[in-house]
Amino acid sequence: MNDLPSMQKIRELRMTMMLKSILVLSICGVVVTGASAQQICPPRPMPGSLVVNPLDLYSQNGTLTVNVTLQNQFGSDGFMHYCYVYLYQGQQVEAPTLRLNPGDQLVLNLTDNIQAPYYKFPKKSQMHMHIPGKPGAKPNDDCNGGMLMGGSTNMHFHGLNVPPVCHQDDVIYTLIQSGDPPFQYNFQVPANDNPGMYWYHPHAHGNTTTQVDGGAAGAIFIEGTIPGTQGLPERVMVIRQQFKNPNSWLPGPNQLTVNYQPAIFPNASSPYINMTYGQPEFWRLVNASTQAFLSLQIFYGDTQQQFEVLALDGVPLQSPIYETEIDLPPAGRAEFIIPGLPSGQQGVFLTNGFNTGPVGNPNNPQQLIKIFGTDDAKKLAHSAPPPAKPPADRQRFAGLAAQQPTTTRQLYFSEQTVGSNGPTQYFITVQGQKPHVFHMDDPPAIVTNTGSVEDWNVENRSGEAHAFHIHQLHFLVEAINGVPVPNPDLQDTITIPNWSGNGPYPSVTLRMDFRDPNIAGTFVFHCHILDHEDAGMMAKIQVNLAN
Amino acid sequence: MKTFQTVLLAAIALAAPLICAAADHTTKPPDTPTYLLTNDDGVLHNYAGFYLAGGTQGAPTLIFQKAVATIAQGIGGGFFGSPRLTLLPDPSAQCVYVSNAGSGFGNISSINIQTQQHVGNFSASSNDIGTSNGIGLAMNKNYLYAGYTLSNTIATFAVGSGCQLSFLGDITVTPLNGGWIAGMALNGNMLVVTYIDGSIQSFNTTNGIPISNNDEQDATGFTAAFFPDSVDITQDGHFAIFGDAAVPTTVEVSDLSKGKLAPTVQYTIGVGTNAVGPGFNSATVRLSPDESLIYIGNSQSAFVSAAFFNKTTGKVTPGCVSQPLSGFYNSWSYIGALATRDTTGTGGVLYAAEFPGSIAIISVTSNGTTCTLAESPASPVADDFTSGLLSIQTFPPRPF
Repeated sequence: MNDLPSMQKIRELRMTMMLKSILVLSICGVVVTGASAQQICPPRPMPGSLVVNPLDLYSQNGTLTVNVTLQNQFGSDGFMHYCYVYLYQGQQVEAPTLRLNPGDQLVLNLTDNIQAPYYKFPKKSQMHMHIPGKPGAKPNDDCNGGMLMGGSTNMHFHGLNVPPVCHQDDVIYTLIQSGDPPFQYNFQVPANDNPGMYWYHPHAHGNTTTQVDGGAAGAIFIEGTIPGTQGLPERVMVIRQQFKNPNSWLPGPNQLTVNYQPAIFPNASSPYINMTYGQPEFWRLVNASTQAFLSLQIFYGDTQQQFEVLALDGVPLQSPIYETEIDLPPAGRAEFIIPGLPSGQQGVFLTNGFNTGPVGNPNNPQQLIKIFGTDDAKKLAHSAPPPAKPPADRQRFAGLAAQQPTTTRQLYFSEQTVGSNGPTQYFITVQGQKPHVFHMDDPPAIVTNTGSVEDWNVENRSGEAHAFHIHQLHFLVEAINGVPVPNPDLQDTITIPNWSGNGPYPSVTLRMDFRDPNIAGTFVFHCHILDHEDAGMMAKIQVNLAN
Repeated sequence: MKTFQTVLLAAIALAAPLICAAADHTTKPPDTPTYLLTNDDGVLHNYAGFYLAGGTQGAPTLIFQKAVATIAQGIGGGFFGSPRLTLLPDPSAQCVYVSNAGSGFGNISSINIQTQQHVGNFSASSNDIGTSNGIGLAMNKNYLYAGYTLSNTIATFAVGSGCQLSFLGDITVTPLNGGWIAGMALNGNMLVVTYIDGSIQSFNTTNGIPISNNDEQDATGFTAAFFPDSVDITQDGHFAIFGDAAVPTTVEVSDLSKGKLAPTVQYTIGVGTNAVGPGFNSATVRLSPDESLIYIGNSQSAFVSAAFFNKTTGKVTPGCVSQPLSGFYNSWSYIGALATRDTTGTGGVLYAAEFPGSIAIISVTSNGTTCTLAESPASPVADDFTSGLLSIQTFPPRPF
């Protein structure tokens, strides 16, 4: 045993291992085929297909009631699918779009039917996946946290400004286990919420990456009039990302998808759409990828076009921005008008690649959609948004720029790669506190009161870009790298580029609005690169009800 | 005539060994060959690798010689700063000790350097577990210390003759910020360790089992999110030098002259004038034999760097950086431990472990104020027996 094995023996050993691997893969292939035949998840479109909007579900009489089941299955494409299944006219439909008016009630009954095999817990988050239970709470209560299992999930309504309490938008104590009775989310969309695009996705700390990677995400619209969009054909695009192994230590093979259709040109034809020549369109896009930073561009022929950006992260801009490129971090949304396609031309919609820094993950250029033209508008099947009720009150966050901040804080992203096998330690730290990998039973890193308005300067002291996101509210982007933004807009997720190792840390200055008493409670802020979040780049804030 | 021939042949026969010996004297390798030793950290079967380190400084070579099975399992990687093999810093060292973090028992192997034979496996207690990120090792002539990354324990073994170890006991360490033990270095009776959470600590090992010097502290770089990973100690024991996991190349130096760690002085040398950038992360450090240079493995990039070190004052100044080492990201992804070929001067040739399976060969030049690090055309050399190479050493070792 202690002698050098001959090279022949080594070759034999390697060959044996390879054959065993092939055998295992072959068996798995049969399982995949068999499982696929069971249609646990709806089939997803093949590459080169027409891109269609997700199914729209509209509120009726002030309420939208939806029953969805989160299931999972290895697809025939070799990726693990996590699917929000909705039964529509006897057919399984995946991740419908939820459309509500301000003030409407959303009743969403979520059944957790996640079954093994699922990806094991990310190695990166093994140390902090426990969800705390509330003292004195009943056992088996989905509002009582518990131990994160492979089949555990919950739901976050990203960008909606609703209370951080169980059955509404809490991700700290809400943990649904596979096989539990349907769990009901039931909340009112604020009557003064901004019209725009939001989205829903799982947020069980430790499982978020895996489930979102598998496709568990859908769009939400708070209806309302966004000036300039009336009468325009509307397209809804959910850009997702799927990894062969989302928990691998080094990023492995992955694909972007558009409404579940792989965008893998030139390895296969691009997803495509048909536009009526000369007809501008209103596009509403969410970056529901786990970690892709998008840099969106559109070309007609060889000519780059300009986007008329109307809203970011669900909030209409003060005035439209005209850009040839829209940079969207993971979780970001953009709503924009694209110009009409000139007669006889074709176009492409792409992401132009994004440099996340020397130790960041690759974000390569990728054609997302091929655009064809038609003179026949009837070929198009866009759903037009219904008439919206006018806002009942002044918009959320109104007048925020004019507020005097009650507190200023300094926060920073940092990370430590101290070994080859992880865990890379991901931190978001309040200046003065110790960098700390987040654990679900951590005390709040920040305590404040409703009514307060705070300015947070968030730095990036790491070698890769991060995407800052806070639950329950939007923030005003006041300054970037210390330079005031002339016309600050509201966002809920923002990119902070990597630090080069030289000079000042890249930073953003954000005005936080805690004036709304509805957001009293404890919630989280984190990096929306989801494997960073799962690995601990997250912290809690406790907002106490004033008086 | 026949007699003359017989005499001549006899004379030749007698003289031949001398002639050959004389010829050998000019061509044969030194009596003590120089080996690069590896802990291959194989998950299924672990091996200690022996590579013959030769060639000239301008054209160094590294030739695989033998892989000795440890009859145990590794884990295929882990913390950059954990030294997974150790030997006495003495050319007369007989044994190299290799950790097998994947094995519950027998997780320290000893191997006779001269015979290149496995001698035995030794266990600490069942409390000592390194399956998460490895088992670091450090030794002096009396004791061997093993830092277990999962259990956060340091086991003490008595070093016996014939490459034997006897387990004496273990202690639990408590990193200040919830981390795990990683780097270890021993000089005399001073054991210095790093925890991957930014804190560091030293121990007195006079009586074998380490006793804290009550100096556990956050390194200075902690406030800038720079965390010490590996550690080395100067020959006179005056300074401990830490390699930081940091965005810009950063080392920290602590004065040990009072028998404990003084607050570290942070040297971020990857920025500014004469910066040694653009390497990212500086988790592994190794002093040159003459202590004039600190070699730095830029763990998350394709570079190795060197900084000038004043062993009298402990001051660090920027030195030089290599060109990108070949194969980065395609065939390997992290730089692990560093080792020098020669036992004097700058070490002449620097080796860098490339995770998961190759060794870089870098020629070093220095005139005391400027230096160069040039990768050899023969670099990298593949290690076919590893699934997660991070730790290397050379024999004969540096004299401290």
